[in-house]
Amino acid sequence: MAPSKTKHANQACVIPGGFTVLSLQFSTDSVAQHKICVKEHRVRAEKTTQRPLDRTLFVLNIPPYCSEGVIKELFSQFGPVQSVELREKPGSFEHSGPKLAKYFTPAQKRGFRVGYIVFQKAISITAVKSHPHDVPLIVSTEQRPVWTGLQKWIHQYKQSFAQPDKLQEAVDTFMQDYDKRKEEEAERQKEEAEEQLEDEEGWVKVTRGKSGTKTRPHSEVSNQKALQKESRKRKRKELMNFYTWQHRNTQKEHIAELRKKFEEDKQRIALLRAQRKFRPY
Amino acid sequence: VGPLPLRQMAQSESSHDEEDEGPTRAKRGKPEVVQDGFLRPVKLSRGDLYKPPTADELNQLKEAESLFHCSLLKMQMEELLKEVALSERRKQLIDSFVQSVTEQLQTVPQTSEVELSDLSWLSGGVKVPFVLVPKAAKGKFHMAPPKSVTIMGSYPLGTCTKPGISVDLAVAIPADVLHPKDALNQRYPRKRAIYLAGLAQHLATSPAIGAMRYSCLHGNRLRPILLLSPPGKDSSSITLRLHACPPPGFFKPSRFHPQRNNIRTDWYTGLGSSQPGEATSEPPTPHYNSSVLGDMLPRAHLQFLTAVSSQCTAFAEGVALLKVWLRQRELDQGVGCFSGFLGSMLLAYLLSCHRVSNTMTAYQLLRNSLHFLAFNDLTENGITLAKGPDSTPSLAEFHTAFQVVFVDPSGHLNMCADMTACTYKQVQHEASLSLQFWDDPTVDGFHALLMTPKPMIRTSDHVFQLCELVKLQSCCKKLNLLSELMDHSGNYVLTALPFILSLLQRGLGQRVRLLTHSLTPDPEWPVESDAPKHNAQPPLSFGLLLNPEQAASVLERGPPADSPKAEEFRQLWGSRSELRRFQDGAITEAVVWEGETTCQKRLVPRQLITHLLQLHADIPESCVRYIGGMLDDVIKVEREVCSTGEEESLKVVQSYDDLSRKLWRLEGLPLSITSVQGAHPALRYTQVFPPVPLKLDYSFFDREKLSRSLVPQEVKPCPVYITPVKVICHMEGSGKWPHDRVAIRHIKAAFHISLGELLTQHHHYTCQPSPSHLDVWKDGLVFRIQVAYHREPQVLRESVSPEGLLIVRDNAEAQALEMDTMQRPLLTSTLHGLQQLHPCFGAVCRLAKRWLGAQLFSDDITEDTADLLVASLFLQPAPFTPPGSPQVGFLRFLHLLSSFDWRNNPLVVNLNSQLTAADYTEIKNDFIASRESLPVMFMATPNDKKVSIWTKQAPTVQMLQRVVMVAAESLKILEPQLMDNSQLQDVRVVMRPPLDPYDVLIHLSPKQVPLLSQAVDPPHATFSRGVLAGRVANTGGALPVIDFNPVTHYLAELRDAFGDLALFFYDPYGGTVIAVLWKPKAFSPLPFKTSQMVARRVEVSGEEAHTVPNVEAILEDFGVMGQGLVKTVEPRTERWVV
Repeated sequence: MAPSKTKHANQACVIPGGFTVLSLQFSTDSVAQHKICVKEHRVRAEKTTQRPLDRTLFVLNIPPYCSEGVIKELFSQFGPVQSVELREKPGSFEHSGPKLAKYFTPAQKRGFRVGYIVFQKAISITAVKSHPHDVPLIVSTEQRPVWTGLQKWIHQYKQSFAQPDKLQEAVDTFMQDYDKRKEEEAERQKEEAEEQLEDEEGWVKVTRGKSGTKTRPHSEVSNQKALQKESRKRKRKELMNFYTWQHRNTQKEHIAELRKKFEEDKQRIALLRAQRKFRPY
Repeated sequence: VGPLPLRQMAQSESSHDEEDEGPTRAKRGKPEVVQDGFLRPVKLSRGDLYKPPTADELNQLKEAESLFHCSLLKMQMEELLKEVALSERRKQLIDSFVQSVTEQLQTVPQTSEVELSDLSWLSGGVKVPFVLVPKAAKGKFHMAPPKSVTIMGSYPLGTCTKPGISVDLAVAIPADVLHPKDALNQRYPRKRAIYLAGLAQHLATSPAIGAMRYSCLHGNRLRPILLLSPPGKDSSSITLRLHACPPPGFFKPSRFHPQRNNIRTDWYTGLGSSQPGEATSEPPTPHYNSSVLGDMLPRAHLQFLTAVSSQCTAFAEGVALLKVWLRQRELDQGVGCFSGFLGSMLLAYLLSCHRVSNTMTAYQLLRNSLHFLAFNDLTENGITLAKGPDSTPSLAEFHTAFQVVFVDPSGHLNMCADMTACTYKQVQHEASLSLQFWDDPTVDGFHALLMTPKPMIRTSDHVFQLCELVKLQSCCKKLNLLSELMDHSGNYVLTALPFILSLLQRGLGQRVRLLTHSLTPDPEWPVESDAPKHNAQPPLSFGLLLNPEQAASVLERGPPADSPKAEEFRQLWGSRSELRRFQDGAITEAVVWEGETTCQKRLVPRQLITHLLQLHADIPESCVRYIGGMLDDVIKVEREVCSTGEEESLKVVQSYDDLSRKLWRLEGLPLSITSVQGAHPALRYTQVFPPVPLKLDYSFFDREKLSRSLVPQEVKPCPVYITPVKVICHMEGSGKWPHDRVAIRHIKAAFHISLGELLTQHHHYTCQPSPSHLDVWKDGLVFRIQVAYHREPQVLRESVSPEGLLIVRDNAEAQALEMDTMQRPLLTSTLHGLQQLHPCFGAVCRLAKRWLGAQLFSDDITEDTADLLVASLFLQPAPFTPPGSPQVGFLRFLHLLSSFDWRNNPLVVNLNSQLTAADYTEIKNDFIASRESLPVMFMATPNDKKVSIWTKQAPTVQMLQRVVMVAAESLKILEPQLMDNSQLQDVRVVMRPPLDPYDVLIHLSPKQVPLLSQAVDPPHATFSRGVLAGRVANTGGALPVIDFNPVTHYLAELRDAFGDLALFFYDPYGGTVIAVLWKPKAFSPLPFKTSQMVARRVEVSGEEAHTVPNVEAILEDFGVMGQGLVKTVEPRTERWVV
């Protein structure tokens, strides 16, 4: 039983669901503690090199002032840490596009996060899980103070300055890279297009899949346009007020419309009356 | 502003949706859809929609189709009439009460004859309702049962309306009590008053009568009346007014010709110096005469009106509508009012001269009477109901004696005797204004016409009051008004009023469009006390409707020195008038008033009024209470010269114009600039505290190593906050732009760099480029230039599906970018244009936003939303005119917030008048069709008819409710305070939010709040924030600390971390407290889930694990995250338990 375990000192606290609860406090003289839950990372579908199953620890509820670096330091006591990944929500590892310079990485939301800690050795996981519940992890100590509040904001402000030449350099490298990619893409498409052409003897090589020779992909809009054109064509062919029943229907629709409008008016009045909106003072 | 159920407002959007689940509608499709006060699209079942119509129904539908606008208005008016009509129960109550009073009156005992001045026979503490000055009076008096008791006035005519039902009962004094010569020297009015006292004494013993009070008819002290109300619970619902009047035909009407004298000077002054032969020199007493005449004619009037109304079926309803219209404009009560009786007479006049026909509906009657009022000036061309020219006085004679002339059917009485020309002008103004918006399909005519009250403080741009009315006595002396005083039988307030009005009208001239004054309410006093003195009444209030072009001019240019009019000018302005030479060479008389800044100039009318009153009417400045700029204080910029920010805004705009010119001229950019647009409130004059050019003290700051930019020091107070003024710079479209979102961002960064280089190179501005913007330090201000590419939102919306299909999907990122680079610049330029039309637009916006900020609503009603709300006040002012002063604009803003029905109506802000009537209908229909999915506060503009982009994110329904409530409270406190000088004079009360409904208060260290000086109650202690006094350099210098506000960082972090658990409120203008409110469901345990483990701890029971918020740790985090900024965290644990 889990609750009974929490009563014993120097013992790990394990809750249903397999998570171990650890305490974490900001500094030694803090009075309150956050409870972080850890568990070995175990997802069947995922087999990426970034999160090896036996060495990755999944951590919940990491306070906003704990950066990757701080977490790395904190968990080093259980064994050497290979990498730390902090995310807003648990989920599979995502590849972000081309590598961006620091100026261009989008700002992250600074809330509570979940973490994936990859240890160098699998034994560290067990060490963490058997860490006693009542010995808290300390975020900010004298040896490695963690900046929060004013200190942090001033620091951030200082960091926010971008050297124009450095920035220019980042832009240039990216754009070169981008142009190269574009060129390669164009090259590839050109090749594909060439493949579709007749060769000297009048043969066309038919390839599987990629059917388009167009340089631009089909767009959803043009798709819809085509469909609309079809339906319009069909409509044009139809005769509207030809049969008596069609004529009768239009009249019926008109009366229905009027009825609806009348009801709306009545409703509006009824509403105002109900709200005593006619009492002038 | 009391504590309000704040707890609800933290409820999440989801609960709102639940509550909006429609009530299950009846299966038959009956329109029982208004249970919860919510309009929703009508859904009729197929059977109902398509059943065969009957002939009747068909007709009805056709009518509704052709008269759509009209029929709704017609239905609305019918409903209104039902509301004001008397119920049968009420009528029975009145009849039985009248019956019992009549019986009581018949039993009045006869008393013996005594001298008129002998009042010893009166006992039981009943006093005479008359100011007996002078004391001497000839004649005999005795009590006798009335000759007749008849019911008169609106009740028998059927034009009596709720509320304040009063029924008139005329008690004829028997002929033997009176004497034919009693009309002279107030003898008759005194006898009448004493007779009333006798009646009161008799009725006092009767159990059938509840409360008994005296009052006087339309405030005329010569015509006291006795108010009776039934006993018990009905006492407040009806009032019976007893009028004592002479028996019919007792006095000859010709005696009361407006040129005749009926009060002798020697009697009135008590000097007795005049000789008997000099009767011709006696001044006429028209007002006295008409007050006696008025007593003799009610019966004839009733007969006349009954005859007229029996001809016209809608007469009573027409009068009722007119009465409602007048009452909403505060014109129907008090001295010289346009009473309901006058309304009936007016309709009768229109019927008699065939301006309206007998078959018209009430709606048409009202419309035609307003039309008549709007286009006929009774101050110049009076009208008469009398048929032929017989011995009655001519209209010209009436005009010499009275300001407004409307003669009754007898031809002897001017029914508008007490009305001032100003009051009539006000009626005219209101009528023409009403006609203007009546037909406008974009205005809710019914609401504006009949449902919106127009109190003076919310109607007039400036208001001033004369407080100590006793001073008017000396004023009468100074203006030499003895004979007028005699005519008004000593009522010096009424005597002086027309003269003061004409004086002010002359002095104000073109500055005002309309000068109005409050109508002194009818005094009421208990029968046991003496009649109140003439000054025992609320202060006289005057309202000014300013002419925006002229009102603030400091110069009053008079005629040339040698013209004959110069003397007149000098006489009017006294010592203030001086000879001046102007640039065009003319030498003229002129008066120059003080005023440097806009806020001082706005108060020029005040200087003018106090000067004139002091000079001509002996009214000292201390008696004049001017209510025009009472609220200016809260938006004052701290400067040597007092200013409410207009000048500062102008400076920012000028500096921006200069920058934009320089940007246009830049050469050497790879692509050319296609537009430079401002996107900041300061560039449309609506920034609450516009940025001020600053000179910095470099020693206060640290330096960044490479760029030598200034950075804040931890140990010192937070440096002065510098707002970056955002400027959007669109670049030409070209094939060179990449078609990729990340690449576009890089290209934009490259543009920022090269723009910065060019600006530094050519103009020596200090620039700091960054990927998202370029900061330019110029003229002591910071401009933040943001390069935009018009196709970028489109690129953001596009994505390629795995099948190679190009998909266009709207997303938040694209919307935000579009808002930043297109919609906000457009709004800014549109509102900038509005400011040019209405000079006080910006000031109203600033007041409104200051209030929103102070009440901690800044995050819910954003700046753009607030500006649009204020813009709607200017664009659609009906039934008012566009606000002409910040104060009145602010009051109307509060009224709009508190009274607008956001649930059922979209607020259409017709910027640049681009929307047509058809657009309005379309907006309304779209709105009703999809109400539930639209923002709670829906505002449509010409560019945004369906989405309401500005209010999409906020407010939530709970916050809107709260805003509405607080606005109503603020208005309730503010308006009486402005109008009543006996109340505590501190308008800042409405700017101090109640903090008791909040759960945790985070107190901030004032040193680290950079905008501290903008607080509602700025603290005395000041810190240096690195600013020096002196001239500001235009170019160069180190880059200052820009946009660094620790509180904003702190709030953002708090919301990121704890946004799911709590709401955070803060006054962005120098607040030192962050108020925290737990969300209602925050503390309920949740089952353990990896996605719901934010700042929570686990509680295990059995095999189940639940999580609850780790409140102790959260509270500690408040402190940790705001280290250096947070002073204390005050959890109010008495309000909540975990």
